[in-house]
Amino acid sequence: MSSWLSSAVTRAEAVSDWLAPQRQASLALLRDAKWPTRKTEAWKYLPINVWDNTELQADAAESTDATSGVIEGLNSLDLVFVNGQLQSVPGDDLPAGLTVVSLADASGDARAWAAETFTAVKPARHLFGLVNDVLATQGVLIDVAAAAVIEQPIRIVNVLTKGYEAHTRVLVRLGEHAKATVIEHYVGDQRSKNTGFAEYKVGDSAYLEHYRFALQSGESLSIGGSHFELSARAELSSHLVGFGSTLQRVDVDVTHAGEHAFAKLNAIYLLDGKELFDLHSTIEHAVPNGTTEENVRGIVADNSRAVFNGRIHIHRGAQKTLAELNNRNLLMSDRAEINTKPELEIYADDVRCAHGATIAEIDKKALYYMQSRGVSRSQAQIMLNFGFINELVDQMPNQVLADWLRPQLRDRFAGMEVK
Amino acid sequence: MTEQIEKALQREYEAGFVSDIESDTFEPGLNEDIIRRISAMKEEPEWMLEWRLKAFRYWLDMEEPEWAHVHYPKIDFQSISYYSAPKSMKDKPQSLDEVDPELLKTYEKLGIPLHEQMMLAGVAVDAVFDSVSVVTTFRDKLEEAGVIFCPISEAVHKYPDLVKKYLGSVVPQRDNYYAALNCAVFTDGSFVYIPKGTKCPMELSTYFRINEQNTGQFERTLIIADEGSHVSYLEGCTAPQRDENQLHAAVVELIAMDDAEIKYSTVQNWYPGDEEGRGGIYNFVTKRGICHTSAKISWTQVETGSAVTWKYPSCILKGDNSIGEFYSVALTRGAQQADTGTKMIHLGKNTKSTIISKGISAGRSNNSYRGLVRMNSSAVGARNFTQCDSLLIGDQCGAHTFPYVESRNPTAIVEHEATTSKVSDDQMFLCQQRGLDPEKAVSMIVNGFCKEVFKELPMEFAVEAGKLLEISLEGSVG
Repeated sequence: MSSWLSSAVTRAEAVSDWLAPQRQASLALLRDAKWPTRKTEAWKYLPINVWDNTELQADAAESTDATSGVIEGLNSLDLVFVNGQLQSVPGDDLPAGLTVVSLADASGDARAWAAETFTAVKPARHLFGLVNDVLATQGVLIDVAAAAVIEQPIRIVNVLTKGYEAHTRVLVRLGEHAKATVIEHYVGDQRSKNTGFAEYKVGDSAYLEHYRFALQSGESLSIGGSHFELSARAELSSHLVGFGSTLQRVDVDVTHAGEHAFAKLNAIYLLDGKELFDLHSTIEHAVPNGTTEENVRGIVADNSRAVFNGRIHIHRGAQKTLAELNNRNLLMSDRAEINTKPELEIYADDVRCAHGATIAEIDKKALYYMQSRGVSRSQAQIMLNFGFINELVDQMPNQVLADWLRPQLRDRFAGMEVK
Repeated sequence: MTEQIEKALQREYEAGFVSDIESDTFEPGLNEDIIRRISAMKEEPEWMLEWRLKAFRYWLDMEEPEWAHVHYPKIDFQSISYYSAPKSMKDKPQSLDEVDPELLKTYEKLGIPLHEQMMLAGVAVDAVFDSVSVVTTFRDKLEEAGVIFCPISEAVHKYPDLVKKYLGSVVPQRDNYYAALNCAVFTDGSFVYIPKGTKCPMELSTYFRINEQNTGQFERTLIIADEGSHVSYLEGCTAPQRDENQLHAAVVELIAMDDAEIKYSTVQNWYPGDEEGRGGIYNFVTKRGICHTSAKISWTQVETGSAVTWKYPSCILKGDNSIGEFYSVALTRGAQQADTGTKMIHLGKNTKSTIISKGISAGRSNNSYRGLVRMNSSAVGARNFTQCDSLLIGDQCGAHTFPYVESRNPTAIVEHEATTSKVSDDQMFLCQQRGLDPEKAVSMIVNGFCKEVFKELPMEFAVEAGKLLEISLEGSVG
C-alpha cells in the first residue's frame, strides 16, 4: 500500500459529517483497494507512483491569487475554491430556479437530494474517486429546478497553489426540462495535489452544457472526473480541454439511464515538455435508443505522453443505440508517446457502433505546400495544429469560451516544434 | 425465424465421435517426475529435459492470466494427464497398411486425405493423433527440395542444433502462463525448416486431433524459413465430443529470416461444448513469429470451435521493410467464448502491418477482438491499418473490441477502425426479393462479410472454411 494512501485513510477516519454513511462505504472499499501498478489495467500507462513520491511543501510567501482563473468577457456565476477552500457562496440574488449551497452548509432538501446523488453517479471503481469520497469536505451543491432555464453559466474554479493538497466535490441536479451551463475550471502550475470530482444528474428532457478545463500545468498533480447520468430525452453537450502536467488524469463517465438521451462529448489534449495526460471515458448505454457522439483529439509534442481509453458499453437489451467514438492524434516528436485504446463492449444486436483511432504526424505535404506559399515552417505548423484542434473548439456552444481558449491554444502550439 | 435459430443452436457437433483405441496414458498430475517421464518416453537428450524443467519452475511461479474477456471454472492442472499415445504406435508402422485401421477410419471421417487422394491433392500431412505423430507422408519429395518437415520429437534427435538455436527464441519459456506450461510438457508437434532460397514444393499441413479423455494436448510447432525461402503451412483441427473440459495449450513459433515468407493458415473447429457450455475445448494458444529484414509473415485463421479461445497470433517486425498480416474470422455460437486478436510489434524501419478481423457472434456467445499495435521509436515510416468488424446475430450474444494502440514514432502512421452491425433487414429483404430463401441469404451476407479473410486462405482451406461457416450458421436468421 502506498504511504500516501494509508495517510489518506487515516485522515478520512477523522472526517465526520452528514454524508457519513456514504463516506463509510467508500472508506471500506478504499481500505481493501490496491495501489495501482503498471499491471493495473486502468493505470497501465500512467506512472501513478509520482503521486505517492511527490512531497508537498507549502510556501508561505506564495500569495493565493484567486483572479488567475478569470475568463474575460464571460458573465458567469463563479464559485471559487482556493486550495480546496470554498471562498464564498452567492447570496439570494441567484436566477430563479437555481439553488447553490456549500456542501458544509447544506440542510433540509439539499441534504436529501445530495445524499442520494453522492457516489450514486460516479462509479466506485476509480481509486481516487473513493479518496475524494472520503476526503472532500468542501464542495458545492447546485440544484436547477424543473423547467428552469439558467442563462448565466455557472463556473466552478479550483485554484491550486504551491504545496497544497485539496479535495473538492461538485454535485449538480437538473430537473425536468431544465437548462444550464456548468464550467469546471482548474488552474495552477505549482507543485500541488488535488482530486476534483463532479456528479451530474440530468433530468428528463433537460439540457446540460458542460465544460471541463483541466488547465493545471507545470508541477501540479491532478486527478479528477466528471460523471453524468442522463434521464429520458436528456441532452448533454460536454467539452473537455486538457493540458498536461507532472501528472494529470481525468475520467469522464456517461450513463444513459433513460431512453432517447443524447450525449455529445468532445475532448482535446495538448501536451508538451515532459507532461502527462490520461483521459479515460466510459459510456454506459443501459437502455435502448440512446445516442453518443464522442470526438477526442490530441497533439503530443517533445517528451510528453498521452493516454486515452474510451470505452463504450452497450448493455443487454439496449437496442437501437447509436454510438460513435473517434480519436485522432498528432505525434510531434520521436520521444513523445501516445497510447490509445478505444473499446467496444456490446451485448445487443440492433445497434450501430463504431470507433476509430489514428496516430500520425503533421502532414508533411501540407507543411511543404504552405512553406512554398511563403508561410514560415513554424507558422505553418501552428496553423495546421490549430486547424486540427479548432474543429472541436468551433463546436463549443459558448463562443465566449471558444474565443478565450483560442489564443491560449495558439500559445501552446507556438512552443511545440516539428521534429 | 426463432425456430430456425433454435434448430441451428441445437445442431450436434458433426465431428463428435470417439475412436476406440487402446492408449498408453499417464496418470493425471503434474510434477517434475511427470516431465522426466515425458522426456524419457521421447528418449530426449539431457539439454531438452533441462529446458523443460526450467520452464516448469518458471510456470510454478507464474499466475494464471485473468485479463481476457472469458469466464470458465478454474483449471485443475493436477487432474490432467500429460501424456497419451495410441498403443499400436509402440512399434512404429512402416507404411499405411500397418497403421491401426481404427485410426485410419477416424481420419477418414474427418475427411483427411491420407491415402492416394493426398498425392492428387498435393498435401503432405503430419497427422498428430493425441500426442504422437503417426504418419508423415511426402517426406521424400520434401527431402529432395531440402525441406525438413517432421515431428518435433524427431527433430530434437536429428537436428539438435536447429532446435537448440530456435526453440523458445520467439516464445520464451517464461513468456506467459500457458506457454510456460507448454514448454514443460509438450509432447509433440511439427518442425519445419526451409533452406535458403527454397520455395516449398507443396503446402504443409498438420491435422491435430484430441482423442483421449482428460488429456490436454500440448503441441509445439517450430517453423524456420531461411533467407529468401517461402512456405505455406496449414493447421486444422476437430475433436470428438466430450463431457469434460480439455485443455489445449499449444505454442507456435515462426522464424522468417531475411526476405523469407511464411503463410500460416488455421481452421480451428475443436469441440465447442454443449448448449450450456459444458465440455468443450479450452484453446489457450500462443502463436508468434519474428520477421527479419524484408520478411513477411501472414496469419490467417478461421475460428469456429472451442468452448473458450484465448489466442493472439502475433508478429515481431524486427527487420526493416518487414511485413506482418493478420486475417481472422471468428464465429461463436451457443455458449462459446472467444478472446482473440493479434499483436503487431513494429521495431524496424518501414515495417507494415495489416489487421483484418471479422467477428460473428450468435446464440449466447461472446466474441472479443483484442489487439495491440506498437510503434517503437525505431519504427521510422512504419504503417499499420486495422479493421475490426463485428456481426451480431440475436440479442443474447456479445461482441467486443479491445484494441491497444501505442505509438512512439511521429513518422509512423496507425489507423484503427471498428464497426458493429447486424444482418440488416434491408439486406435480407433485397436477397429474398431476388428469390433466395432466408437461410441462403444469411449465408451469403455472412460470406460477403468474411470475404476479405477467405480470399487469403489457400484454396482447399477456403472451401472448408466456407462450408464450416455455412453449417454453423444454418438457420440463424436474424
